[in-house]
Amino acid sequence: MRSCAPAIGYDRAMKKLIAIVEDEPALRDNYAAALARHGYQIKTYGNRKLAMQAFHVRLPDLAIIDISLEDEAEGGFDLCRDLRALSAELPIVFLTARDSELDAVSGLRLGADDFLTKDVSLPHLAARVAALFRRIDALRQPADAAQILRRGALAIDAQKLQVSWNGTPIVLSLTEFWIVHALARNPGHVKNRQQLMDAANVVLDDDTITSHIKRVRRKFVAIDAAFDAIQTVYGMGYRWVE
Amino acid sequence: MRIRSQLLIVALSTLVLPWAGCQYARELEVALRTSQEQALLASAGTIANALSAAPQRVFRDGANLAKFDPGRGDLYVFPLDRQPLLDGYREDWGIAQDPVALPGKSAPIARVQAGITERYLYLYLEIDNPHFKPEPSDVHPAHDRFDRIDLILQRPDGALQSYFLATNAPGLIAAQSLVTGEDGADHAIPDPRIQAYWLLTKSGYHVEARLPLSLIGDQLWIVARDGAAEPLPEELRTVEQLPGGRLFFAPRGLDDLLATFVREGTHATVIDANGLKFGSAGHFDPGADEPEGAGLGETWLRRLLAFDNSSLPLRSTAPDRIDGPPASDALAGHPDAVWLRTGHRNLPVLSAAAPINVEGATRGAVVLEQAGDQLVGIRDRALMRLFNLTLLATVVAVAFVFGFATWIGVRIDRLRAAAESAVGKDGRIRLGMPESARGDEIGALARSFESLLARLNEHAQYLRTLGGKLSHELRTPLTIVRSSLDNLESEGLTGEQRVFATRAREGSLRLSSILTALGAAARVEESIKQAERVGFDLRELLVSAVGAYQSGFPKIRFELSAPPDECFLRGAPDLIVQLLDKLVENAVDFCPERGLIAVTLTRDSGNYQLSVSNDGPPIPPEMLGRLFESLFEQRASRDDKPHFGLGLYIVRLIAEFHSGEVAAANRADGGGAVFTVSLPII
Repeated sequence: MRSCAPAIGYDRAMKKLIAIVEDEPALRDNYAAALARHGYQIKTYGNRKLAMQAFHVRLPDLAIIDISLEDEAEGGFDLCRDLRALSAELPIVFLTARDSELDAVSGLRLGADDFLTKDVSLPHLAARVAALFRRIDALRQPADAAQILRRGALAIDAQKLQVSWNGTPIVLSLTEFWIVHALARNPGHVKNRQQLMDAANVVLDDDTITSHIKRVRRKFVAIDAAFDAIQTVYGMGYRWVE
Repeated sequence: MRIRSQLLIVALSTLVLPWAGCQYARELEVALRTSQEQALLASAGTIANALSAAPQRVFRDGANLAKFDPGRGDLYVFPLDRQPLLDGYREDWGIAQDPVALPGKSAPIARVQAGITERYLYLYLEIDNPHFKPEPSDVHPAHDRFDRIDLILQRPDGALQSYFLATNAPGLIAAQSLVTGEDGADHAIPDPRIQAYWLLTKSGYHVEARLPLSLIGDQLWIVARDGAAEPLPEELRTVEQLPGGRLFFAPRGLDDLLATFVREGTHATVIDANGLKFGSAGHFDPGADEPEGAGLGETWLRRLLAFDNSSLPLRSTAPDRIDGPPASDALAGHPDAVWLRTGHRNLPVLSAAAPINVEGATRGAVVLEQAGDQLVGIRDRALMRLFNLTLLATVVAVAFVFGFATWIGVRIDRLRAAAESAVGKDGRIRLGMPESARGDEIGALARSFESLLARLNEHAQYLRTLGGKLSHELRTPLTIVRSSLDNLESEGLTGEQRVFATRAREGSLRLSSILTALGAAARVEESIKQAERVGFDLRELLVSAVGAYQSGFPKIRFELSAPPDECFLRGAPDLIVQLLDKLVENAVDFCPERGLIAVTLTRDSGNYQLSVSNDGPPIPPEMLGRLFESLFEQRASRDDKPHFGLGLYIVRLIAEFHSGEVAAANRADGGGAVFTVSLPII
């Protein structure tokens, strides 16, 4: 926490405040240490109650929330809902020990910006956090056409980490965004699961990639029932077809 | 040996019942025989006592005390049933005995038989004298030479009287007595009371004579004389005392007296001290009780059970006397009962004899005879009933035991079949046993099986979830380790420290991949829950996937054979690919370099058969049924990837999601294994 030590009054205006809600103290402190090293101000909380009390006093700039909190198996979801009620733009990242929760989370549509398993390495976590902050900043600036990648009906704004289909914005988590981006950048090329993982800065098993793809498709289909741009190449991976 | 056969043998032990019945019947017969002996002996004793009280009705005075000596011309007088015709033939006498030779040195040889009726004494004589010399008329009989028969009899008053029988022509004649006339000469005077019939034969002549009993005393001396022989010795004509010729017969009425004592079925005989039959009454027929046309079973039974009578002494059939026990014992003063056998068919006869004592001396005996087969009849009837009943009981018992054993056997078989199939080929455990609702031992056994299976199932369930649980529980500490390493590396490590940190990271990565593998089944179960069924072309999927496998494993040959047209299946293609991945992974593990892995899709009525066959060692037969169980690791793997025996379990899970079945087998050529998934076409 050496990086947290300098004069508080000055830093508070400059440094982004990240709240980590995690009931496992060792893990919590490791995340805090790593992110602090990247120049963020960190507040950690062991349970939902403490976290909410603090959030009512001051909202963080970004929240990293574990799904199960102490004796509340899905306390993270409740916290996310409450936090979203306080702020619509605040980036929220879920951390979960369970792969299967990704699917449960997908159904909840709680407005989280990303879902990560705890397998994620700290540099990857830092990269995501940076990306999310970058997106917040980018959203405040006018659209830069040069940054926009177009593939037929698909438009990808790599700066703002946003995707639209036929002009309709699609809300994707950060991982989902990076997967779509990796596929659409080279249409027709088969991306295997490892390539997709690398692109998304995650370490996931095959099943999780499959469920991510499934969720992405569902989001597109919700807008355009005829959507069929992501194809499965059995035994190899996926490709974007125009 | 099956339970049914065993119990059948046990049931056959009821055959001991008929056997015991037989034993009982034998004992019964012994007891019956003993009681019959005693009863008959008692009867004999009673009759003997009664007769002892009136000896004059049994024995004529004096004479019978003497010893019977045929050598001195003693004659046994047969009682005759009816008056015979005087015709020179004795066939109508009904005596089954030949005449006996008369003593005496003088020729010719004469044989005599005597009989008695109520009023007459009959004599039958056979004289061997082929040269018949008829009696001349008007010749002094005593001195003239002609064939004659002298009869010297002692009259009841003790005086002697001489008669002779002679004729000049065969036919009916009267005896003549010699009377000394006034002239001092003997005159032959015919006495019409004594009649005779003279019959000439080739070898001589037969004479049948009839004498009124009123003339007869105790003795009768008979001499046959040839006309060519010496005249009658003088002394004989004047004797005061006859040298022999005592007559042995009972006083009149003995038979009737005896008849009053005798019960039906019993034959009573009175014998004198010589054993000669004096009187008899009653009737018995040793064969009378033998049922006519006895059933085969009964005959057989009789043969099986009958006492061996052939060792019994033979019953005497002499018409004039009774010898041997029990009569001889009785005559010696001891009552006795003896089992005899008839000469015909060896039928048993009980004979009891008791002495008749008169004034301290045994003067005769009463012999009672009874057919023994009365008992046999009683015994046989009782035994037959017993035998039939026990045989019926045995048959019923055997049938019942057989039925029962069959039922038990069927139940045990059912239980065995259920126990054998409780763990299916795919490793699934079927709970629920037949017979478990029953209260008996088989029911208890079924319940034990059930609880055993329930525990096995719990165990299997535990194993199924163990991987997922372990993976989950270990993930958080592993994450702590890894994030700590991340932090450590960010702190700027020296060269040496970096080496150790790198090693620690490698270890944690391996641990992570182990946990991922361990949790694979749980994740598949999770994704099965989420899975959506869509229609897809199984053939296209296979073409694509097998192409990928070929590029993934260049050292192994892959072959795909599938129907030429579209193979539509409704299911989860991602899961099917995963299923195929696991089967191919498994096949690759055992396939040697440049070996062949053949993926085959066939379509029959209602099912797709998807099989993956690989070259390589065959699967040990005992493993075939267990391969699809969770955490069943059949062999050491050849690569560094962690194996937890979950791959084939995942195959099973996915097949089950598609309502399909999985099976493992060795190839017929022994050169590899083949795994087949059958998926119903929906």
